[in-house]
Amino acid sequence: MASPPITLPLPARTTRVPRPSKLTITGVLLVGSIAFAAVFAPFVAPYDPTQGVGLPFERPSAKHILGTNDIGQDIFSEMVWGARVSLTVGLLAALVATVIGTLVGLISGYFRGVADAFLMRTVDVILALPFLPLMILLAAFLGPSILTIVIVVGLVSWARPSRVIRSLVMSLGARDYITAARGLGAGDVRIIVRHLLPGTIALMVVEFVQAAAGAILIESSLSFLGLGDPIQKSWGSILYYAQARSAFLSGAWTYWVIPPGVAITMTVLGLAFIAFSLERFANPRLVKR
Amino acid sequence: MVRVITAKTGQYALVLLIALALNFLLPRAMGGDPLQFIVGEDIGRLTPEERDTIRREYGLDLPLYTQFGNYLGDVLQGDLGWSISKKAPIGDVLKQRIPITLLLTGSALVLSTIIGVALGAFAAWRRGRRSDVATLTVFMFLESMPAFWVGMLLIAIFSVNLRILPIFGFETPYIRYEGLSKVGDIAKHLILPVTTLTIVSISAMFLTARYSMLTVLGEDYITVARSKGIHERWILFRHALRNALLPVATLFMLRVGFVFSGAVVVETVFSYPGLGRLIFEAVVARDYPLLQAGFIIATFTVVAANLLVEFVYPMLDPRVRAHG
Repeated sequence: MASPPITLPLPARTTRVPRPSKLTITGVLLVGSIAFAAVFAPFVAPYDPTQGVGLPFERPSAKHILGTNDIGQDIFSEMVWGARVSLTVGLLAALVATVIGTLVGLISGYFRGVADAFLMRTVDVILALPFLPLMILLAAFLGPSILTIVIVVGLVSWARPSRVIRSLVMSLGARDYITAARGLGAGDVRIIVRHLLPGTIALMVVEFVQAAAGAILIESSLSFLGLGDPIQKSWGSILYYAQARSAFLSGAWTYWVIPPGVAITMTVLGLAFIAFSLERFANPRLVKR
Repeated sequence: MVRVITAKTGQYALVLLIALALNFLLPRAMGGDPLQFIVGEDIGRLTPEERDTIRREYGLDLPLYTQFGNYLGDVLQGDLGWSISKKAPIGDVLKQRIPITLLLTGSALVLSTIIGVALGAFAAWRRGRRSDVATLTVFMFLESMPAFWVGMLLIAIFSVNLRILPIFGFETPYIRYEGLSKVGDIAKHLILPVTTLTIVSISAMFLTARYSMLTVLGEDYITVARSKGIHERWILFRHALRNALLPVATLFMLRVGFVFSGAVVVETVFSYPGLGRLIFEAVVARDYPLLQAGFIIATFTVVAANLLVEFVYPMLDPRVRAHG
């Protein structure tokens, strides 16, 4: 569901390089710390998350700071390696969505006419399909793997970015410098690649960050429903096992259920903060004259 | 106006057709035997003769376009096939589950709309102040939490530790309540899932209400009303809110379309026996026909809600009617 753009009262006069707001700093810190854990997982995680390194259902101790799961795996190590899986899926799916969305937006907004009509009707159709049931259906048929999730989430999420980029390209296309380039004999491809694409980069980044936040949430839902990669455990799959072993019925929920959810929320919220801060500079609709 | 609606109806019919085509093609495009998606794991135990019989029964020996025609015909007549795991016609299974989901998601929809609009209007009225920014951050936070996790936490807190609400299900099993106590029992089971859905879905309502209220409060007629000396509260409720509710009404109707899709993870956590839980059960049992039927119902609802918006919006907003 598309939320309307959020407008905050802008400062009276923004300087050329605006100072990052508290929101931006918080977002970068949240996502940065998770990304650090993901990149340096082998050094951050004390144990191999795929090995039983303790007794089943151990409570948190100095040895296992978040205890162990039902087969004696260290939950903290699972969390750290899960960051890798969740972030990878989120970023790759967002990449797929942004690349397709940008391509469609550029073609649609630049050439207009029949191509535009066809592509935008396709977007309408995708947006009118129920997102999660569609993903569940595709994931169930294609089989659970990271690649499936990346492709499925990416293929369904490009519709929104393509619309936003299209309207930007339409407004850029009407500017004088494009007319001038065409007058100098530049071809369609050159105009798109050299003159329109650079103008859309800021918006592309915003759409990418938002798509990543959405993809991480969706991945967690799919994994929680047992459609995640059975070999690569993400935060969603940790919660799937916690649910399957009824962790919330015992005291285990405080260290088995809370941490993965906090990690998902932190990452998604951090990305939302970053997108929110970037959007004020990238989205021409939000810039007050 | 009529032409616009015909065009829109055609477009939404296309969405349905594409969803059905996807359903039809997925089992056939997977390389393996489509039979496997109909009989499930039993396929290994069938003799070649039995397989041929079933193939003929399901028309799998016919050319693809005839198969697709038959499939469309069946769905249009309300025949969604046979569920392997439930061992019953899918239509009958759905009939039991749909009202349960409607009760759950309907309650959450109404609740999130009322609370979201009230808070959104209030935030717009106090825009730019510290509390406005703080509320925005809170709602971004609510939107970032995975729905199933919120449900798990609520169960751990209210059902397991405080022991004041039931853990799972639609009603207490093995006890036959009658009359009012039955209603009470069902309501008790409803509280946590409805709260979960409300928490995770309220943000969009709040943001829409806030944004639309901000836009309306900036309009000239509000300034005029203020300059006439009309009381601020009167302006807020009589002049601004009525117009600001238009986008909210639209969002509400669109949300009606997602009553089934939104319920999947929450019903799974609470073992709430609605359509969402059914989709999960279909995934676990690898009951593909059932899964496909769930997808079709969800798509149909979204399409119907979209059409509803097209028809109802002009009635709500005379300005659209005049231009249409």
